[in-house]
Amino acid sequence: MLQLEASLELDFQSEAYKDAYSRINAIVIEGEQEAYDNYLQLAEMLPDHQAELVKLSKMELKHMKGFQACGRNLSVTPDMAFAKDFFQQLHQNFQDAAATGKLVTCLLIQALIIECFAIAAYNIYIPVADDFARKITEGVVKDEYLHRNFGEVWLQANFAEAKAELEAANKQNLPLVWKMLNRVADDARQLGMEKEALVEDFMIAYGEALSSIGFSTPEIMRMSAHGLAAA
Amino acid sequence: MFGLIGHLTNLDHAQRVARDLGYPEYADQGVEFWASAPPQIVDEITVTSVTGQVIEGKYVESCFLPEMLAARRFKTAARKVLNAMAHAQKNGINISALGGFTSIIFENFELAKLPQVRDVTLDFSRFTTGNTHTAYIICRQVEDSLRQLNLDPARTTVAVVGATGDIGSAVCRWLDARLGVGELILTARNRERLENLQAELGRGKILDLEAALPEADVIVWVASMPKGVEIEASSLRHPCVLIDGGYPKNLGSKLQREGIHVLNGGIVEHSLDIPWHIMGIAQMENPARQMFACFAEAMLLDFEGWHTNFSWGRNQITVAKMDQIGEASVRHGFRPLTLSL
Repeated sequence: MLQLEASLELDFQSEAYKDAYSRINAIVIEGEQEAYDNYLQLAEMLPDHQAELVKLSKMELKHMKGFQACGRNLSVTPDMAFAKDFFQQLHQNFQDAAATGKLVTCLLIQALIIECFAIAAYNIYIPVADDFARKITEGVVKDEYLHRNFGEVWLQANFAEAKAELEAANKQNLPLVWKMLNRVADDARQLGMEKEALVEDFMIAYGEALSSIGFSTPEIMRMSAHGLAAA
Repeated sequence: MFGLIGHLTNLDHAQRVARDLGYPEYADQGVEFWASAPPQIVDEITVTSVTGQVIEGKYVESCFLPEMLAARRFKTAARKVLNAMAHAQKNGINISALGGFTSIIFENFELAKLPQVRDVTLDFSRFTTGNTHTAYIICRQVEDSLRQLNLDPARTTVAVVGATGDIGSAVCRWLDARLGVGELILTARNRERLENLQAELGRGKILDLEAALPEADVIVWVASMPKGVEIEASSLRHPCVLIDGGYPKNLGSKLQREGIHVLNGGIVEHSLDIPWHIMGIAQMENPARQMFACFAEAMLLDFEGWHTNFSWGRNQITVAKMDQIGEASVRHGFRPLTLSL
């Protein structure tokens, strides 16, 4: 009988693991912080949904604290400067869109791209996480599906008007996701997470969202793979 | 609703199909890209039974490619199969057949131990390997071929190559119990499993490949062609029927000689046209009607309302279950592919 490769023996206390963790953990913390800020900004752009968006933002803050605890548990200091730089371009694109009132672009960046990125990363991380981080991450990932759902529901209800902007925003922002993934591929591997699995999980989560919003399968295949080959 | 989970033959084929279907992002990409590509539902299918009953189904492309196994990227292959299954289940498909290599991967890597795929807990009662119907169809092909060539089963020697596999062992049981073939030759790699099968059947001659082939009037090939195995046509009997039930089907092109009849094994033909694209992609001769018998099993289970993993686990296929799926197969208008003489 063929055997799957023996799962990588992870030493959570090794210097190599902790070094990689300092960046991955920082990205997760920064990602949750960005999400918190973004949902508060979205709340201002969507006054009818303010209460709900403020609630979502508070969940992100809770997640951030959970992941800070994960770093402390392994005695790792997150490299926040790296994480800020990591999100810089996506952050800028969100701010530019918000400044020009491009709500659809903002929703695509936060509720679809960032949430799906988080869903993929957390799902791939859970089986290889230390016990402490696994429990926290399992709780978080359930919430992230809810957050993606907010964007889906709104964009689905406004699909006809939003479609062209979604496609343009996808073109602008998806290549950034592949670049970001490439940048941390080695660190992720050190934590037992394969890049190809991360990419596939992202495309699954993102494709599910695009499908429920109203895109057809050929559109989803085109949009979710945009820029991947060039990355 | 039924589902078919499949994959393309190789990277070249995948690139060609992607181009033909208008997915330039997927064409021209290497195995690396396909290793990251998510499963997709790329065909919606309506099938009408000869009884008039109509069912709906979906084809799930797993984006698995055989090159992933050749490169020993087993984790990737396993992930492809599990993700495709989760996709089928999420899309509300009641019963899906695992086509091509997907059921082999599922069994070999014991994926039943990994039912949690992200936010989906796989419900294995929604999946079938389709092997019971495949085995039944192969047996019917043996039977039909003997009739076509005026050969008496009781005086016939049948060699089953890959005899200890799920399909191979089922074929042996049927040939023994239903067809009463004169001599049964059992060929496979694992000696212990061969001896267990021989003990179960209470008959059968264990031979290696080189010794088995020249003795057989009918060769049932249900193993995948290992690299480097060449069959010497001159060493075979005349006439000799070779039923190629392996995957991929490539014996026909290797053995072209007078008196040697090669038949694509485990392929059925429906009595009515099916408006779909995927069997053209699977390079069937008559794509509107022909398909893998394992896929047809999912349709039969849906027609009959047997939403259960009819074929599951290894070496569990009984002659009674082959009878049961065989009756459904006939009832709904499926026929085994036969030799064109």
